[in-house]
Amino acid sequence: MTASPSSSARLGLWNRLLWALVFPRRHQRIVPTVSGTLLVSVALGIGTAAYNSANNILFITLAVLLACLVLSGVLSWLNLRGVEWRLDVAPPLRVGHVAVVALGLRNHKSFLPTYGLWFDVEAKPEQEGPPAAVESTITAKGIDVRAALARAEAVDARGQLVLRERLDPRGEARLDWTFQPVRRGRLVIDLVGVGSLFPFGFLRKTFTTEQRAVRLVWPAAVEYRRHAAASERLPAGSERAPQAGSGGDLWALRRYAPGDSHRLIHWKASARSQTLLVRQFAAESTTGFALALDSGATVWTRPEQFELLVSFAATLAEDLFRLGQLESAQINGEPPQPMRRVRDLEQFLDRLAVVQPNAESPAGGGSPTRLRNLLTFAPDGARGVIALVNGEKAASA
Amino acid sequence: MEKRRPQLSLDELHQLKWLLGGGLVLLSVATVFYLDVDAWTLMALTAAGVLAVLVKPEWPARVPVIVHRLAFPAIVALFVGDLWRTGEILPAIVRLDILLLLYRGTSYRQKRDDLQVILLGLFLIVVAGVLTVSLVFAVQLVLFTAWALAFLLVITLTEAAAPPVPARAGDPSGPPAWTRIRWGNLATRVRAVTDWRVVALGTGLFALVVVISAALFLAIPRFQLENSLFLERFVSKKARSGFNETIRFGEVTEILQDDSVAANIDVTDRSQIPATPYWRMLVLDEYSNGTFKLSPRLRRATFDNERTGAFVRGSRRPRLGLPVWTFYLESGISRYLPLLGPFELLRFTTIQNYRAGQVAGLVALRDEPVTMTAYRVEGMLTGDTVPDPAFTEFLAKPRAAGPLQSVELLRMVGVGEADRAVLRQAVAEITGGATLTVADFSVRAERWLAARHSYSLQPAIPAGPGDPLVRWLKANGGGNCELFAGSFVLLARTAGYSTRVVTGFKGGTWNAYSSNFTLRNSDAHAWCEIFDPAAGAWRRVDPTVGPVGAQEEVRGEAALARRTDTSWSARFDSLRVFWYRRIVNFDQRAQVETLKAIKDATEDSGRKLRERLADLFRGVRDWLAQPWDVRRIARILAVAVAAAALGWGWREYVGPWWRFGRRPGRVGKADPVRREASRWLARFGPLSGRAADEEAVHAALLRLRFGARETWPEPEAVFRQARRVWRESRRRRRAAARLT
Repeated sequence: MTASPSSSARLGLWNRLLWALVFPRRHQRIVPTVSGTLLVSVALGIGTAAYNSANNILFITLAVLLACLVLSGVLSWLNLRGVEWRLDVAPPLRVGHVAVVALGLRNHKSFLPTYGLWFDVEAKPEQEGPPAAVESTITAKGIDVRAALARAEAVDARGQLVLRERLDPRGEARLDWTFQPVRRGRLVIDLVGVGSLFPFGFLRKTFTTEQRAVRLVWPAAVEYRRHAAASERLPAGSERAPQAGSGGDLWALRRYAPGDSHRLIHWKASARSQTLLVRQFAAESTTGFALALDSGATVWTRPEQFELLVSFAATLAEDLFRLGQLESAQINGEPPQPMRRVRDLEQFLDRLAVVQPNAESPAGGGSPTRLRNLLTFAPDGARGVIALVNGEKAASA
Repeated sequence: MEKRRPQLSLDELHQLKWLLGGGLVLLSVATVFYLDVDAWTLMALTAAGVLAVLVKPEWPARVPVIVHRLAFPAIVALFVGDLWRTGEILPAIVRLDILLLLYRGTSYRQKRDDLQVILLGLFLIVVAGVLTVSLVFAVQLVLFTAWALAFLLVITLTEAAAPPVPARAGDPSGPPAWTRIRWGNLATRVRAVTDWRVVALGTGLFALVVVISAALFLAIPRFQLENSLFLERFVSKKARSGFNETIRFGEVTEILQDDSVAANIDVTDRSQIPATPYWRMLVLDEYSNGTFKLSPRLRRATFDNERTGAFVRGSRRPRLGLPVWTFYLESGISRYLPLLGPFELLRFTTIQNYRAGQVAGLVALRDEPVTMTAYRVEGMLTGDTVPDPAFTEFLAKPRAAGPLQSVELLRMVGVGEADRAVLRQAVAEITGGATLTVADFSVRAERWLAARHSYSLQPAIPAGPGDPLVRWLKANGGGNCELFAGSFVLLARTAGYSTRVVTGFKGGTWNAYSSNFTLRNSDAHAWCEIFDPAAGAWRRVDPTVGPVGAQEEVRGEAALARRTDTSWSARFDSLRVFWYRRIVNFDQRAQVETLKAIKDATEDSGRKLRERLADLFRGVRDWLAQPWDVRRIARILAVAVAAAALGWGWREYVGPWWRFGRRPGRVGKADPVRREASRWLARFGPLSGRAADEEAVHAALLRLRFGARETWPEPEAVFRQARRVWRESRRRRRAAARLT
């Protein structure tokens, strides 16, 4: 006798359903806790005794224990059902500064609250290129391996956000995690897993999520020393520069761009042109600098010195922009980018966050000497970095 | 958004945990009430200690640290001493368990200690259940499970609310902050936190646990591993006096005053139940100085050698049409099983060590059963005679060796010469000097006894020299069944008839709810069997007069009707019988039968459902085919209007209960503006990814829905704007959908 297609399909559905009930789903991990292990051990012991003695009292106890496990699963499912979480990382991130990762929670259930969740969060630098192949032979000594692992761990930050209070039905909650990025570059913030012991603590249920946020970490702010020699030779700051700045005189109107202050909107002009226009003011000073960064690998052979260079450049760019003295910035001989708005500076810092030693850049070459007050950088000994204005030492870090 | 309920603080969660843990200890030690283990003192001590620390939670902090350090060695020493003193391991373990519960219940607990409390309690309940097979076990297990799950839930919530702080018992830093408990305040807080919908769901889920447990119990595959239960070997129990090999006058009287259940009996064919069933347990032959006992010679002659097995083959040949009797004999009654007479086959649920008296229709277990003993009997003789061809043969050859000695014993009077003279005189009065048949002698002797003695539960045996039974016989006072039966035996033996005393139960009640016989200890009885050589059988004679002896012989349904019990105690007994039938006595065969019954019921209900659907479909078709007129249409419209009104009523009055968990009036039922704002908010749904104009309208709607009245914007304007924005939003969504 052969089964009909519909009956075999029904059988397959039942098989899948039963298998889904018995076996955890993909990306799910269920580990018994101490109380869970105890429950399973007690159930095994009682089951053995029940079969050994054919005693129905023990069979009843066994059935109750197993039913408790089923209830635990149902309640755990109800607890997690309808809960939505969202990673929210507020930019900017900067090396050495405290960064806040917020996890927004929302319970969509109509009357059931949610309890006792935890969220494992991890922040680590984005891996460039394909993942390293698995080594079949480890030749390093154990202590070296441990040190390498420790170094790798040092740049990773891990945290656990715990929902300590009840998440009411149709309610929202926010959990904050703070950490300090230790390296510039692309930082991947992963919601590694969500876990729960609810309701009875028998099973530690965790599952991975696809929640991920990639953010740029700007270089750290460094302390530097200014040298007066170069700045004395700069022209006095009384003449108006034909460029935008933070002065009081209207210089031009331009289209509104995201990030512009609403107070800069020129309402009349916007109404006439049916387009949002913002005011630009003339710069008050003429002591503008053009920052040029050369990341030639032949010049910056030491990684620590290169990192110092990037941090120094970022710090100088930010300081000069705050003073309204940064006209443009460029990296490795690319066309200079005007620094008119905060967004321009942020874009430059974004570039600095990911800049690497450039092997193709000739040593000392590529710097556009035609620019006025050109701010360049050079190694200062084995560790230091100096900033040069038109070739003269202006600051050092 | 719903109004936010308060949350329990960490201290309040600790207080709740403390309460639940104490309650669990009390629930666990309550097993002592029905567990036959001497642990009353410990139980009382534990209950008092736990109640004391529940009222004064700061007291455990005053216990010196040294007490906690010495607690474990002291408990171990007590256990060893207990074991050495009593020599019984299981009672000692039970007392150790209670002792540990006492310690854990009266000291501050960490999570592992809480788990230990649950484990100790479970052990106690399971042991009690296994040893007693009592229905109380089921009730207690359900209560314990619910309580333990609530306890574990609170433990998990406490852990989630704050990471565990390592604090040992006897911490010198003083009592924790949570020990300042005001139970009234806590109850108020818990009530404020509790949402009745969650409680209802929890209750429903727990009911589901019970259902799943029952389903698992039915579904767990059973294999007969042919092994007896291990725990029974570690505890001993003594049977009720009156049902052992020796019976003294007065012992049955004590039993008659006990109204507890001795056995429940199922029968497959109620029409074959005797009008007055006599449940025989033991025959006693040897009489001496007011005591009847089973002589070693009769024991040897009656009972076979001890055997081990689940079946007892009887002396009867297989016959069709005889009912099957299932006995559930309570613990503590006797190791002799009550039976109506010789049988064909007796089947135990588990393997037993037994000795069977096939001809006499008696079965004796080796040990007094400590749990309910279930057995099924097939082909059982239910009449008032017990055939004994061997005894007939021995009577015919009086000089034969061996069992003949027991024949002589069954005729031995066992009294002095003076008493013998009294007996001879009595026999002369009974017989009138004539030689009577067994039946005639029995009737006359019964009448003679009834004429001189009345039935009484307070028999008065006159003091004086000689045999007590003969003294009672002379005194013409009241007596109970033992005295009547004993006197009849002496009279019959004096007259030369082989006679013996039989003990067991007489009658019983028919439980109308569970359709079974219930024997109580108050049904205990003693009667006689006199050997009738003409019939080659032992004939039952019940010389007891009065309420027990002189009963009208009514047979069949009329007899059952007279015995039917419809009282409240019968209802409870029916639960006990259900427990025995469906739970305790559930075996592989019953499992197969149950699963088959479920399958049949499912198929039958499915077939009926299909038939009903087909009928419904035909009815609807016929209804549609009927001519349509105004009255009919009006009726349909009226039904539709009523349904709409019901729906409206549900939405207005019942729906808010479900959505908000409280009275509609408190969520703005009376305010149409708030209601309208609520509808618009529900229509807008989650705000994520909305345009700016929708956000503004949403904020205004939120203010109308939840804000103070004095801060409201103009409601009509807000609703107009909401309508406009909603339409625009819908238009945009449709346009986007067309583009994609």
